[in-house]
Amino acid sequence: MKNILPWVLVLSTSTAVYAQRDTTRKDSTKQLKEVVVTGTRTAKSLQQVPIPITRITSEEIKNRGLVRLNEVLSEQTGINILDDPHGQGIQIQGFDPAYTLILIDGLPLIGRSTGILELSRITTNNIDRIEIVKGPTSSLYGSEAMAGVVNIITAEPAKGFSGGVAGRYGTNKNADISLNSSYKTDKFYISGFANRNSSGGYSLQPASGIPTVSPFHGYTLNGKTAYRFDDNTSLKLSVRYFTNDQDSRFSVDDSRFASGKGTEKDFNIAPVLTHRFSKKDVSVLQLYRSVYKTNSDIRYEDNNDVYDQTYFTQTFNRAEVQNDYAVQDNLKLTAGIGGQYETVEATRYTKQQSFTSGYGYFQADWIPVKKLDIIAGGRFDAHSVYKSQFSPKLAASYALSDKLTILGSAGKGYKAPDFRQLYLNFTNAEVGYSVFGYEEAKAGIARLQQEGQIETVLIDPSTLKRLNAESSTAFNFGFRYKPVAKLYWTANLFRNNISNLIETAAIALKTNGQSVFSYFNLNKVYTQGVETDITYQLFKALQIGGGFQYLEAYDQDVLDQIKAGKVFTKDPETNLTKALKRSDYGGLLGRSKYTYNIRLNYNEEKTGINTSVRAVYRGRYGYKDSDGNGIVNRDDEYTNGYMLINASVSKLFMNNALRLQITAQNLFNHKDPQVILNLPGRLIYARLAYNFNKQ
Amino acid sequence: MNKFKTLSLAFGAAAILLASSCSKNNDDPTPEASKLTTKTIADLDGASKATVYFSLATGAEVTGADTASATKWDLKFKSTSIFTNGGTSGTGTAQAQVVSSTFEALTTAPTADYKTDATGAPAISGWYTYTAETAPQHAILATPGKIFVIKTADGKYAKVEMISYYKGNPNTTTTTFADLTTRPASRYYTFRYAYQGDGTTSFK
Repeated sequence: MKNILPWVLVLSTSTAVYAQRDTTRKDSTKQLKEVVVTGTRTAKSLQQVPIPITRITSEEIKNRGLVRLNEVLSEQTGINILDDPHGQGIQIQGFDPAYTLILIDGLPLIGRSTGILELSRITTNNIDRIEIVKGPTSSLYGSEAMAGVVNIITAEPAKGFSGGVAGRYGTNKNADISLNSSYKTDKFYISGFANRNSSGGYSLQPASGIPTVSPFHGYTLNGKTAYRFDDNTSLKLSVRYFTNDQDSRFSVDDSRFASGKGTEKDFNIAPVLTHRFSKKDVSVLQLYRSVYKTNSDIRYEDNNDVYDQTYFTQTFNRAEVQNDYAVQDNLKLTAGIGGQYETVEATRYTKQQSFTSGYGYFQADWIPVKKLDIIAGGRFDAHSVYKSQFSPKLAASYALSDKLTILGSAGKGYKAPDFRQLYLNFTNAEVGYSVFGYEEAKAGIARLQQEGQIETVLIDPSTLKRLNAESSTAFNFGFRYKPVAKLYWTANLFRNNISNLIETAAIALKTNGQSVFSYFNLNKVYTQGVETDITYQLFKALQIGGGFQYLEAYDQDVLDQIKAGKVFTKDPETNLTKALKRSDYGGLLGRSKYTYNIRLNYNEEKTGINTSVRAVYRGRYGYKDSDGNGIVNRDDEYTNGYMLINASVSKLFMNNALRLQITAQNLFNHKDPQVILNLPGRLIYARLAYNFNKQ
Repeated sequence: MNKFKTLSLAFGAAAILLASSCSKNNDDPTPEASKLTTKTIADLDGASKATVYFSLATGAEVTGADTASATKWDLKFKSTSIFTNGGTSGTGTAQAQVVSSTFEALTTAPTADYKTDATGAPAISGWYTYTAETAPQHAILATPGKIFVIKTADGKYAKVEMISYYKGNPNTTTTTFADLTTRPASRYYTFRYAYQGDGTTSFK
């Protein structure tokens, strides 16, 4: 009864309608006070936290007219969205998408296809901010956090009754509609969010009748509720559900087509109990379950015979306790332990497979003198299938002055062998090769031998070395500089030494001339480069900014072979063999040496008009090997570099409650239909958003 | 002082190397002058017939009854397969192997590890890359650094580099080549070779 009273009071007495904070004001001095949580799993000031971290606010995202995570990340300095048949993933510091952990409110999303988590699965309509940590963060998050972590932090409701509706529609029948409402009192809140995202798809080769991206429609539902028992104890529950249906159609051979439907489902539930034992001591108990399912049924169009029927079901369960203890004002200790149980069941696996793992992590955040912040920590992961991992990290920031902070960190990252690398049991029906995960290799070879399909065994499966996690050692060094309130400049030098990369290699030859492959810890690669970003408030209404990244990513074994004169190419003019020079080697596929962006935001507070223009350049990168030496070296093995211009104009009405917006992505219609499949050309959208809050 | 040390060491090493290579030559049973012929054969026509035979000794195509000979031909081209005159491919005793090198850098033929053609396992393989769906689509491109070393039926050594599978040895990075309608005809073999007529393994 006690709890309902304020509820009633609020509803009956308040009549005023306040706009929810959807202002377009960009206060650059705010950066000093901004708080981030992803880098240390505790709240830290953005200026002080000793590791490279970027914070993107919901306000910025709205000003740019963006609604999905891939759109947002593609405009960020030091991040590339990769074009891949398995989805749009993210490249950080030259790492493939499999090496960046994607979190929602600190909890990992699962459901990757060959290591790629499709970023367009994630709506940015219900978020407060996105934090991006660069460099390995396995010391806190374990596997996958090798290149970095992207943490999507969903919005906390404002006090009172709030609600909103937003819709965006445009080219290719792309539609995105969101609804949200929430109610919050001092002790309790509940919020609900629903989003529908759909597209008519597009084709870069319209004459073929085959879509490049097939039509799809998906829904995201998100509910959060929290209750504060007293000043010290609170309980929070969040539930997220995502489902997406996609039609697909492709040509099997010259005259036959196959088509069908694929469904993707993702469900997460996370209860969190927080208890404050004292002012200095807080514990958080977190339970998490995530289920990811896909299903597809593709049939020949002419006779309706099955072409391909697949399913994939993955579950992830976790229980974790974290304790934060402030020994003194300048020394904070964080420790956590957890256990995980994961399963996978799929068409290409022999049976249901499962992993169990346990982990513990520890971190000390020490400020010995006011200007110096040292963070030391580590995490130990014990696993049922692969070798245990210890991932330490040491980071420090030092404020040379109020204006300039330097920061450096060294740490280890790792990525566990995934289900595919351990358990895959797959034979390509058309071509005839087979791939076995490490755990399946012995039985698979024995079975094929019995069936008389093996010509020669190249590597006896009983001599295979246990598959180990991929690991990296990384160094980051940089600064944050704010000489005047209007200017903010950051830079970071990075180097990642990566070893034990898991690759496929042939273990046997089949009688049909094809090979049997399995997975091995093979390659050693390194990535290094520099990233810098600058923002300047030219005058009150106009902010300009820019970012740049220089990146090198090389395979150490290839470099050694080049040195030994064992790598060759063909001169394209004469087709004669010549030995490859070090300078001809273009590094790993899909890595642009140069990327940059230029941003401009003009905001007139008086009229509520905001204009935002961004230019994003991605330098040329290797995308194929055409001379048969397995590496990128010849000009025809690169794409052309390209620039995308994205722009958005919006106006606020009704005391900032209503926003009308027009957005253009890829304004100059850049396309590369042979090479880049995730660039549909110019996209024009109209967006409308309305928010209200009743206190 | 250090410079002198380095220099004298270098000279010493060079002298030893020279001496050892000389002594090898002296051991050779046939110390006659090198009879090396180096040639580039352009567009050997394998399109108008199922197989085309070639003699490294004469540098010309072999036809008619000579194609049954044990010594009159050395290489047989059939589509993307290349055979040597021996084993399952011919009546001779020719053998071959593929060495990773540039054509120029391979100055001596290996003395061991030659293979004879067998069913499904020719001595020469892996000389090309099929591009499949990657542009230029469905092309046969000679893989760089694959030098065939052939020990002919009469005991002579030769090294061969495949250059092109297409008429006119086209630049395969052009759009003309990428376009299947304008791509030159296939099964026209362009290759260069060096044939050592003196029976030694030297390609100098």
